[in-house]
Amino acid sequence: MSAKVCTTLVIGAGFTGLGTAIKLREAGIEDLVILERADRVGGTWRDATYPGAACDIPSQLYSFSFAKNPGWSRTYSPSAEIQAHITELAERFDLVNDIRFNTEVTTMRFDRREARWEVSAGRRTFYARTVVVASGPLSDASLPKIRGIDDFGGARIHSARWDNDYDFAGKSVAVIGTGASAVQIIPELVKVAGSVKVFQRTPGWVLPRVDLATPEAVKQVFERIPVVQQAARTALFVAHEAAATGLVWNTPVTSLIQQAGKLHLRMRVKDRWLRRQLTPDFRAGCKRMLMSSDYLPALQAENCKLITWPIATITADGLRTSDGLEHHVDAIVFATGYDVHLDGPPYRISGLDGQVLGEEWAGHPQAYKSASAHGYPNLFFTCGPNSGPGHNSLLVYVQGQIDYAVAGIRTIVEQDLRWLDVKKDVQDAYNASIQRRLRSTTWMSGCSSWYLTADGFNASMYPGFATQYLRQMQDFRIRDYEVASNAAARLWNIPRDVAAV
Amino acid sequence: MTMDMDEMLTKIKDRQWALADIDWDAPGVETISEDFKPRLKAFMADLCWIENVGARGFAAMAKKAPTPMIAEIYRYFHAEEQRHANAELALMKRWGMLEGDEIPEPSVNIRMAIEWLDTYADDMPLSVLGTVIPMLEVALDGALLKFLLEEVHDPVCHQVFEKINNDESRHIAVDFEVLDMIGHARARKLAIDFVSNLASPGLIVGALMYVPLLNRMRNNIVEMGLQPEKLYAAMSRFERLGRRGEFTHRVPLFQVLRVHSQMVVNSEHPYHLLANSMVKLSEYYPRALFRPIPTWFKELTYEPVSTGVKKGMNAA
Repeated sequence: MSAKVCTTLVIGAGFTGLGTAIKLREAGIEDLVILERADRVGGTWRDATYPGAACDIPSQLYSFSFAKNPGWSRTYSPSAEIQAHITELAERFDLVNDIRFNTEVTTMRFDRREARWEVSAGRRTFYARTVVVASGPLSDASLPKIRGIDDFGGARIHSARWDNDYDFAGKSVAVIGTGASAVQIIPELVKVAGSVKVFQRTPGWVLPRVDLATPEAVKQVFERIPVVQQAARTALFVAHEAAATGLVWNTPVTSLIQQAGKLHLRMRVKDRWLRRQLTPDFRAGCKRMLMSSDYLPALQAENCKLITWPIATITADGLRTSDGLEHHVDAIVFATGYDVHLDGPPYRISGLDGQVLGEEWAGHPQAYKSASAHGYPNLFFTCGPNSGPGHNSLLVYVQGQIDYAVAGIRTIVEQDLRWLDVKKDVQDAYNASIQRRLRSTTWMSGCSSWYLTADGFNASMYPGFATQYLRQMQDFRIRDYEVASNAAARLWNIPRDVAAV
Repeated sequence: MTMDMDEMLTKIKDRQWALADIDWDAPGVETISEDFKPRLKAFMADLCWIENVGARGFAAMAKKAPTPMIAEIYRYFHAEEQRHANAELALMKRWGMLEGDEIPEPSVNIRMAIEWLDTYADDMPLSVLGTVIPMLEVALDGALLKFLLEEVHDPVCHQVFEKINNDESRHIAVDFEVLDMIGHARARKLAIDFVSNLASPGLIVGALMYVPLLNRMRNNIVEMGLQPEKLYAAMSRFERLGRRGEFTHRVPLFQVLRVHSQMVVNSEHPYHLLANSMVKLSEYYPRALFRPIPTWFKELTYEPVSTGVKKGMNAA
């Protein structure tokens, strides 16, 4: 009996994976399977359960335009609400039966002879004509490499794997990191913990976040008149696009944004030295902007202290800083972010000629339009190389990637192709252009960030407006691909593994 | 030979120590005689504040560092100077020189240095900071520490200063390496940098602060029985180390400080008439004109272990 080969296999049942499945169905591709390593949908938002977790892009924009939620409770919705929305999407679009839970992909191999992907997940193997990688860039997290980290006798809690059973009430807590998660966690911890010491290495630019409850009447209007909600979404989109002129490109607008950040700091922090400690020395946008109105006040609470001395080592009882002090704490919160997989997904992918993606991408990952990589046919990436926004909603970009993958998959199915493999010269030309355009961006203005590889190569961000990115993603051009056709193989009786045109 | 800053940073990280590594209750307190205590207290207070001032200097340097690696090294040096100040405070506590939570009062010249650093240091170019900081480290730190180890026989004090000296030797090595890098710039840039800074209020006020600070320390340690030659030897070390660098001699401020140190070293030089008058004058400086002590100055503590959050003086 031959193994069942589905048309499309989607890896990951987070926002992106489910969005892909919805759009594939809409395009008439029903024969799909979604693999999810956890026992529930949600991805990053299922796992981000730390106190204060919320999106830092307005919810109206941090959702798919084809599956809006008129009922967002706030401008920036908390993670539980986003998770509920994702769960609701899976149910509303009847996707749950297509998801194989507790199934973690370990390897993927393109079978040239059969023109299909062979995806191993534990003891099971799945076969698919096409694969969409939707396992997300922010799905794994590990503890940072700090000396003595394993010696600590208290609780070690990572922001991405929050221990909701740990009771912080009255405890002495150290928070390591002052990035996007930390600015959400710290104000909440300060409310309950006995003391909070915040260990900062590099301060980020903080702008106020106007987070308002959505009035019931507005929700009703969004529900009944979808065009109004779309208009609100469009207005937010345009406003974020305008921010690209300062956050994407290093321009005088960047300086204006910095002035706004400094003004915010001045208004919120009276002490000069604390202001100095909190003033970034890199261009706004070079690292992710921090959106918070309660972080700076929380740092100045009676039970909170910012410590900027380097951490020398972690001990059984706490942390030693280089000023010679040992800080005894009950718990250390590592708000140190995710292991961003710039070198590709954290599982082995071998392509048309047995080459391994992780090895090819080591250091300098490259793809065409962030979605296709030469030598890995019928494989579509979401959140692939150079697909990240610095100024707009990730989901807007993801929607473009989904549209692109769906167009590719439809082409394969409708034209009965064995495979589609992006041409090497097309991919190279695209990446040369991307790297050239990146030179004038804030990300390349001299700071070190998770956007860049160890040698300073930018393989994560897209140097342009979201509008530009979406336009390129809506334009699927088959001429950019090498095509192997089933029809040609049949007509000329060519062995199946060489039927490329 | 060019220093491998990567290696240096690793070495710095490997050699970190903490106040908790030292047994502050170990025997040896009795070696400090009661009549020596008041003088030693004044000396230690100055030393401790000078470390703290040096720390602030490194904080400013970190912002100007020529490479991210050197910026990171300066970030450690900033913390290490603070560690030295904390350890010196802990020695004072051990010797019974601090009542309760008392933190020694900084002298007027130290207050001036603090005020200068807080106002001007972050805007000073690396060529100024990178020349003045090594001078302070070599001259003041070097001479003072040497003196202390000769006069004080408490083994804990020796244990502490062995650690401090090891840190300082790395500071000085990096300081002079960077000074050499500064000297590597085009002569025209060095000249423009120097002339434009010479006329700046920052440097003028800085000189007015630096001259009496140095002479006060010189006078203090002479009063305490230190041979001024020790200080002079330390100051000439600045010139000697600077001469080892291939390009250091091209830094105009290095030459100014070198000539200045020769004047300081020569006790017969008329310069001392001016400098000592400035010391006296500074005593009359109205304290009310000082701005409130910046919070970085209040971070010193003799407590090796910090639990919870304390704010304000002696906070940790």
